[in-house]
Amino acid sequence: MNVAAVFFYLFSAIMLASAFMVIAAKNPVHSVLFLILAFVNASGLFLLMGAEFLAMILVVVYVGAVAVLFLFVVMMLDVDFAELKQGFLQYLPLGSVIGIVVAIELLLVMVGFTQSDAALGAGASPIQANVSNTEALGLVLYTKYVYLFQASGLVLLTAMIGAIVLTLRHKPDVKRQVIADQNARTRADAIEIKKAPSRAGV
Amino acid sequence: MQIGLTHYLSVAAILFTLGVLGIILNRKNIIIILMSVEMILLSVNINLVTFSTFLGDLTGQVFSLFILTVAAAEAAIGLAILVTYYRNRGSIAVEDINMMKG
Amino acid sequence: MPSYLEEYLPLVIFMGVAGFLAAALLIAPFVLAFKAPDTEKLSAYECGFNAFDDARMKFDVRFYLVSLLFIIFDLEVAFLFPWAVAFKDVGLFGFWSMILFLGVLTIGFIYEWRKGALEWD
Repeated sequence: MNVAAVFFYLFSAIMLASAFMVIAAKNPVHSVLFLILAFVNASGLFLLMGAEFLAMILVVVYVGAVAVLFLFVVMMLDVDFAELKQGFLQYLPLGSVIGIVVAIELLLVMVGFTQSDAALGAGASPIQANVSNTEALGLVLYTKYVYLFQASGLVLLTAMIGAIVLTLRHKPDVKRQVIADQNARTRADAIEIKKAPSRAGV
Repeated sequence: MQIGLTHYLSVAAILFTLGVLGIILNRKNIIIILMSVEMILLSVNINLVTFSTFLGDLTGQVFSLFILTVAAAEAAIGLAILVTYYRNRGSIAVEDINMMKG
Repeated sequence: MPSYLEEYLPLVIFMGVAGFLAAALLIAPFVLAFKAPDTEKLSAYECGFNAFDDARMKFDVRFYLVSLLFIIFDLEVAFLFPWAVAFKDVGLFGFWSMILFLGVLTIGFIYEWRKGALEWD
């Protein structure tokens, strides 16, 4: 057993165990933390397979941003999570039946397929040995897959606008800075000089 | 023993099954459901990268990158809907979400 | 084992040292510390009162918006990395395709700025 195999078993065992804990943990904060552990180990698996760029992006985007988003939402909602845990055992028989069926189906697919030798390297964009992973991705991502790339830009735009529309609420009576108005003020509309008669009192 | 295609595919299959199980078992807690969806997408990513590596083709990794983008956007929008729902109703009970039908 | 994996040896060593230190600091108190618990010593604040409820407190929703905008721009930067590495080879087409991508996201940026999503109140 070589070193890569040891690491494969280490990463996948930790990943599957923490994925199990995500669905089994009582406290959703623990669930999120186990999700982070699962993602870190999946990134290790990606590294073993040679997808270095994806591994790093998985750490940066998922662990650094998506998991933190989940954590924020868990902390933001003041919900009795123990109550939501009810029905776990009630759904367990149905759940395990469906789980076993899905697992058997996936297993059948895995056992049933054969790989022809001609398929190796016959894909749309073969991996070259002397180009680093990130550079190889960069060579095809912006030219060959340009439509998908632009579509993902639009997906991000939709996510941004949708989330702002859904969650942004301004407090009604907050006085805000309007820099353009502040700069456009002239002396004429800012101050007024009045002649006050002297010795007449107010 | 050499780690091959089937090893990675088995891991992805188990992760997928766990994600499906998580959706069924935690039907009341929509946050866990969203996390299970993330796990399912992760298992899809593992599948794509596995085939990309063992077929010597970069396309799988490119698609995996796009799936990553879509998954992040999906999580963001899903949680935004959840936050708005909580604001309006004061709970995150999934059974009542069909009231959104207007 | 592929040769590029050898470059990750420092990372493995780092993780090993970090894990060892964390485990050692967690386990050492159990082994070394002097323990003589009694009910009075373990009760809250000896002369005070028990905690009323959970120490967890609600976060403000505005944190959510900030972290969400962070995700979007995080992904944008993630797409910039391969572009920067392969910049010399993607040619003019790759350059403009990236500029278009950045332009689309800049529209979103202008939108959120105008809506005041970047302001706290």
